[in-house]
Amino acid sequence: MSMSDQLDPAALKKRLKALEAQAKEAQSTIDELKSRDSLKTQFLSNISHDLRTPLAAIITHAEILRDGMLGELNTKQRESVRGIVNGGQQLLDMIDEILTYVRSEGDQIKLARTEFSVTEVVDQVRMLNQPLAAKKNLTIERLNGDDLPPVYADRDKLRHVLGNLIGNAIKFTPDGGRIWISLSPRGRNGEELLVEVGDNGRGIARDHHELVFREFAQVDASPSRPHHGTGLGLAIARRLVELHDGTIWVDSELGKGSRFFFTVPLDAPRE
Amino acid sequence: MAARILIVEDSTLVTDAFRILFTETGYDVDVAATVAEAIERGTANTADIMLLDLSLPDGSGLEVLEALRERGVPPRATLAMTGHDDAKTRRTCLDAGCSEVLLKPLPIGDLLRHIQRHLG
Repeated sequence: MSMSDQLDPAALKKRLKALEAQAKEAQSTIDELKSRDSLKTQFLSNISHDLRTPLAAIITHAEILRDGMLGELNTKQRESVRGIVNGGQQLLDMIDEILTYVRSEGDQIKLARTEFSVTEVVDQVRMLNQPLAAKKNLTIERLNGDDLPPVYADRDKLRHVLGNLIGNAIKFTPDGGRIWISLSPRGRNGEELLVEVGDNGRGIARDHHELVFREFAQVDASPSRPHHGTGLGLAIARRLVELHDGTIWVDSELGKGSRFFFTVPLDAPRE
Repeated sequence: MAARILIVEDSTLVTDAFRILFTETGYDVDVAATVAEAIERGTANTADIMLLDLSLPDGSGLEVLEALRERGVPPRATLAMTGHDDAKTRRTCLDAGCSEVLLKPLPIGDLLRHIQRHLG
């Protein structure tokens, strides 16, 4: 192309037009994809919601039978009905996880901040998980955190994050293992709180450290994997931590346990 | 006389299960699947406890409570049943006069305890 071609106003105009048309096309593709994505999100939200109702009925009927309200069951019958209740409950937890995820993606989650002690929330979650841990002979200790300043954050959301991390630790730590929680102020002026949930379980290979926080990702996604779940737990945890302007990450090596960390700002402006 | 429970819920799967549960535990059970039906049932027979689903085919469950209060026949206690455990839903229900907001489904033992507490 010669100099005169480039400066030819007619040619320039033509090229400009072509570029504008391309930009328009790209924009319409983006719009189309966005609209499809939001339809999918809506579908996921509706289907999860609609799955809950019949499942709730199944669980209630099974509990009525289990508790002998319609006549005493023999041991084998009771055992079987317990299986229905437990299986139903597990399914319900998974559906709830999908719903939470969809809401957090659709920006439907708003933080309800109050001032509270993270230490207290940690102890609550520990208590709640104690029976599950006891089944595997695991200990869950809180190493420190008795004299921390309160945080200004969403209590339920942080409880959810802690519940997820401790739940995972229980799931992936073999019998007799150890789980700990450590809380410490961090930053030059202690402007954030660093929370660690550690375990001496199976650990996560280095190249999977990013993957575990990605939605629907599971390190072992094969149908025969020993641990089932939605693969959404840590993606939700990350989303909830980020809503608080915090960060979440993992430090781990295969066979050497995992240490999950997240931060919560201690200096969040009070409303 | 047995305490009367009005179950306001549009899923017959759920109301069938609740009907068995509450009949077997000695309550009088009434069921309504819509706002209109619930207002009618609740007016005809004042309930001791109303279990209230928030999303009904013809409106919000809270409209039922509002109408029954206006007519001077509110239940002794209204327990809202919701699938969303968020602070906003909770506040809206309590502001509307619900005694409690329960996340459904909850284990039947817990549900029965909540009901007994409000009757006690």
